Amino acid sequence: MVTALRSRPRVIRLFVVVLALMFAATAFAFSTVDSASAQSLSSAKSSAPTVDTTPTPAPGSTAPTTAAQSIGIWIRIAADKSNVPNAKVTVTGPSGFSTTVVSGADGRATVPIEKTGTYKVLLDKSTIPAGLSVLGDNPRDVQVDAENQGVPAYYLLGDGAAGATPAPGKTSSPSTSSGNTPTFAEVVFPRIATGLIYGLLIALASIGVSLIYGTTGLNNFAHGELVTFGGLVGYVVSGVMHMPSWLGILSALVFGGIFGYLQDLGLWKPLRKRGIGLIPLMIVSIGLSLALRYIFNFIFGPDLLVTPSDSSSFLTLGPVHLRFWDVVSPIICIVVLLLVAFAMLRTRIGKATRAVADNRSLAAATGINVERVIRIVWVAGGALAGLSGALIGYYQPVSWETGASILLLIFAAVTLGGFGSAFGALVGSLIIGLLIDLSTSYGFIPSNLKLVAALAVMIVILLFRPQGILGRKDRIG
Amino acid sequence: MDFNFIPLAFGEIVSPLTIGYALAALGLAVHFGFTGLLNFGQAGFMAVGGYAFAITTVKFGWPLGWALVATVVGAVLFALLLGIPTLRLRADYLSIVTIAAAEIVRYTVKTPSISQYTGGSDGINGASRDFYAMNPLPDIQYGFGVLTYNNNQLWSILVGWTVVIIAAVLVWQLMRSPWGRVIKGIREDEDAVRSLGKNVTWYKMQSLILGGVLGGLGTVLIIIPTSLQPDNYGTQTTFFLYTIVLLGGATTVLGPIIGSIIFWVVLQLSDGILTLLVNNHLLPLSSVQQGPIRFIIVGIALMLLVIFRPQGIFGKKREAHFSG
Amino acid sequence: MADATKDVTVLQVGEPLPGVPKVDPILVAHGVRRTFGGVNAVDVEHVEIPRNAITALIGPNGAGKTTFFNLLTGFDKPDSGTWSLDGKSLANVPAYKVARRGMVRTFQLTKALSLLSVLENMRLGAGSQGGERFLTSLVTRLWRKREDEITAQAMELLARFKLDTKADDYAASLSGGQRKLLEMARALMSKPELVMLDEPMAGVNPALTQSLLGHILNLKKEGMTVLFVEHDMHMVQTIADWVIVMAEGKIVAEGYPDVVMRDQAVIDAYLGAHHDTDLGSLTGQLEVAKDLGDSFLVGEISDEIRDEKADHTMEATDGK
Repeated sequence: MVTALRSRPRVIRLFVVVLALMFAATAFAFSTVDSASAQSLSSAKSSAPTVDTTPTPAPGSTAPTTAAQSIGIWIRIAADKSNVPNAKVTVTGPSGFSTTVVSGADGRATVPIEKTGTYKVLLDKSTIPAGLSVLGDNPRDVQVDAENQGVPAYYLLGDGAAGATPAPGKTSSPSTSSGNTPTFAEVVFPRIATGLIYGLLIALASIGVSLIYGTTGLNNFAHGELVTFGGLVGYVVSGVMHMPSWLGILSALVFGGIFGYLQDLGLWKPLRKRGIGLIPLMIVSIGLSLALRYIFNFIFGPDLLVTPSDSSSFLTLGPVHLRFWDVVSPIICIVVLLLVAFAMLRTRIGKATRAVADNRSLAAATGINVERVIRIVWVAGGALAGLSGALIGYYQPVSWETGASILLLIFAAVTLGGFGSAFGALVGSLIIGLLIDLSTSYGFIPSNLKLVAALAVMIVILLFRPQGILGRKDRIG
Repeated sequence: MDFNFIPLAFGEIVSPLTIGYALAALGLAVHFGFTGLLNFGQAGFMAVGGYAFAITTVKFGWPLGWALVATVVGAVLFALLLGIPTLRLRADYLSIVTIAAAEIVRYTVKTPSISQYTGGSDGINGASRDFYAMNPLPDIQYGFGVLTYNNNQLWSILVGWTVVIIAAVLVWQLMRSPWGRVIKGIREDEDAVRSLGKNVTWYKMQSLILGGVLGGLGTVLIIIPTSLQPDNYGTQTTFFLYTIVLLGGATTVLGPIIGSIIFWVVLQLSDGILTLLVNNHLLPLSSVQQGPIRFIIVGIALMLLVIFRPQGIFGKKREAHFSG
Repeated sequence: MADATKDVTVLQVGEPLPGVPKVDPILVAHGVRRTFGGVNAVDVEHVEIPRNAITALIGPNGAGKTTFFNLLTGFDKPDSGTWSLDGKSLANVPAYKVARRGMVRTFQLTKALSLLSVLENMRLGAGSQGGERFLTSLVTRLWRKREDEITAQAMELLARFKLDTKADDYAASLSGGQRKLLEMARALMSKPELVMLDEPMAGVNPALTQSLLGHILNLKKEGMTVLFVEHDMHMVQTIADWVIVMAEGKIVAEGYPDVVMRDQAVIDAYLGAHHDTDLGSLTGQLEVAKDLGDSFLVGEISDEIRDEKADHTMEATDGK
């Protein structure tokens, strides 16, 4: 039945935009007002790590004192992952930069960095609990590039001097060449590269969401857990069992598919048979997501899990330095996406899938085995999500909530592209990936708000083009 | 063995969380149970209301009354911002936009650059000043056994439950009135209601506002005796609320309130039993592994409820509005 | 029956061609166009609906009848066009305001509000209940009196539609035909001027057909205007005063029922070669459809059958 979808006057849209702009402006005003006093504030706050800055040369002359970069220090005991407070860390760097900080109750400290370059981070051994030594390099060199916030300098303390790998940062990005004032290209190109890579990774997962929605009408809130599952499989195979990377990725693909198949067989198919409506199904998927997420937590614990990989520069394109996996995972993504596109357009099952997505009862009436199509979509969706998870594992550490944290990005991508459209999901993912990385360049928005940019854009798109960028208008309603 | 956890679990009946969640769940029932709005961002409403209250009292030093006005205004604005673009769209769009908006709120308040107002990841403490100043109860210990409360705690409990009861009566009156009839009609088929001359979008907006304000006030009831932490208003909070609402029955007024009591008592009991088993080496778990179990229980309970008892444990089968 | 109820007054001015002006039009539409992905779903040059008469809108499946209904009642937006009720423009007026102006519609697939009681369904149809406003609703005293009036009116209508014994049952427990009746009765609660019925006979079992026809004729007696979409030619011939034929979004013919049924354009567009077959009741349609192997009818009927089935399954589950 046709709804009064198109009946809203433009005035109302305008009103919303104005409201949203006001909201954004207020937030922005807050952040600028306060950026001047950021440093004094952070030292004033009792629970935050105390920053004891040796004055850098003439801070007043370089107008805004907000640091565009920072180093994040985190000191923990390897055995039980407990945080180490009151440990003294000295950071030295170019132009006579020198700062000493003390870790807070959470074992963390942040050092604002004005200038890009290589910094030396030294943990004062006399301030750590007796009987423990620093695992890994100390002092260690940390490369701070333009706009890098919280570049990790994480220390694990243990009894021996065993070489535990320090965890790379959660958002370690392809690095720019070091220099004091980064050029436009140095800031933007690496971000475009990161954004596209991340977009492709999201795309793998998004296509599953889109196909499942298209064929069954279900908004699968538990899809993030399929991604986590893939990431964890990759971690277990390559990180724990020390099998080659390709095997880890392949296992994630295969087990992801099996996981998707089992989910459909054990849960969704019986529920479809019971004739349960779409809204209750959506709530079931939420329950499933919650349960699975914490089962992962139960099994793997709450920590970030690092699959070892080579983090040295592998390929350099102008200002863009790419690590091995920054090159390989997009290639894998593109190949797989092309295969999916081929399957969708040329194979019988692909055509059947599109037919079911278009009109389920008509497809059934023309002799297509709808249940079989849905089953295949679940397997494919699970496999793609698993692959995505395994590749994300080489991009950032995985944890029990990896999938949950990108679920909304997946939804944003799918909504942007238009629900039920696999190609739309790809385009939407790339846009989301780029948005996340580009929105934070030049401090346009604070880096911890990069997800906010993506979600806000999704809402705005819904306002003007509810069917998404590539979606068809008459699908809604 | 220490069986103190049993009376402690029943102490949950009067805990700030139970009271606050009861109110927020009542708001969610207005959205989901009565109007059929798929609001997956009730945690966002809770956060907006809570921050409006805490910032105005603690950071701006507003008196209690004005802080409450700010809470309501905050929730209303949030509802307008979310509702205007999405209420005319299909139900699942609202779900995605609301869940995204709730996360936006959570990320935003955690931004370091505005932490002088929001307290960043640490949240805000001490929103209770004016409230405790109004406490007429003498400063002695109340209660018995392991369940003892000081005068301020008791004051929060009394006021909290009073607010919940007033809200329940309000919602009950609304739902038996012609206004409630339109609202329930929209849940069944909004085009039909539109064809009968009712401004459906506006009614949905009113419902979104009402439930959102209840959510915001729920947070106030939670943070007065405790504190405001941004990560307490993540997506899992909304999912807890759905479990609560479905537990008691989404289309009833008492359902969400009783649901909240059952939810927290059962959660505490299961935590207590687990601790007991682990401490006595009857269950081979580490203390880190104990944490996730309650969430696993909630997730599975939510699935089972939706599948097998969509009407809640008290509702009548035919009242499960989405069983079809 | 047909002779007793048919109006003999002249409705149109001049030759009954498509778009002919009426003596006393209640609804005038001009240049209403709606495209779906390049296809003209509705492309109505000009049409007038005569006041206090029963007008049938007929045409093959996909002719744009329901879309036209949706456009007129504000449930869909046209690409262009103007239309007015009693001289007041309805273009760009939202659906709920159209209903308040006195133009109330029903739906092809009945929209009974299943989990409200039959009586609550009826009450919802009434206008000017102040208690539907948020603040007023909080004080029972402010809306109780109006509620009593509404209830009395509802019970009266339910009695007339023989649904009064079901007043306290959930609407979900009604049969498909009863739901059609409920929907029509509910539409009457607001005392509309123009009642628009989208396939009132679809899914109604033959036993209820007569009573439904009687109710529609009654509407006219009470001074209302009726515009309905229907496939049941028997019904059209029995009760309609005026017939408008649509095909491929356009109005291809207009006129008195007996004349239109003999019009060559109509026969071509709609009835095909079997125009002399009596398209009587639903079962009749089924037979014809089988005869013709005609795809448009088959589609329509299978829809109806599906609805009926859906209704029965509903009842079955409700029984449990």
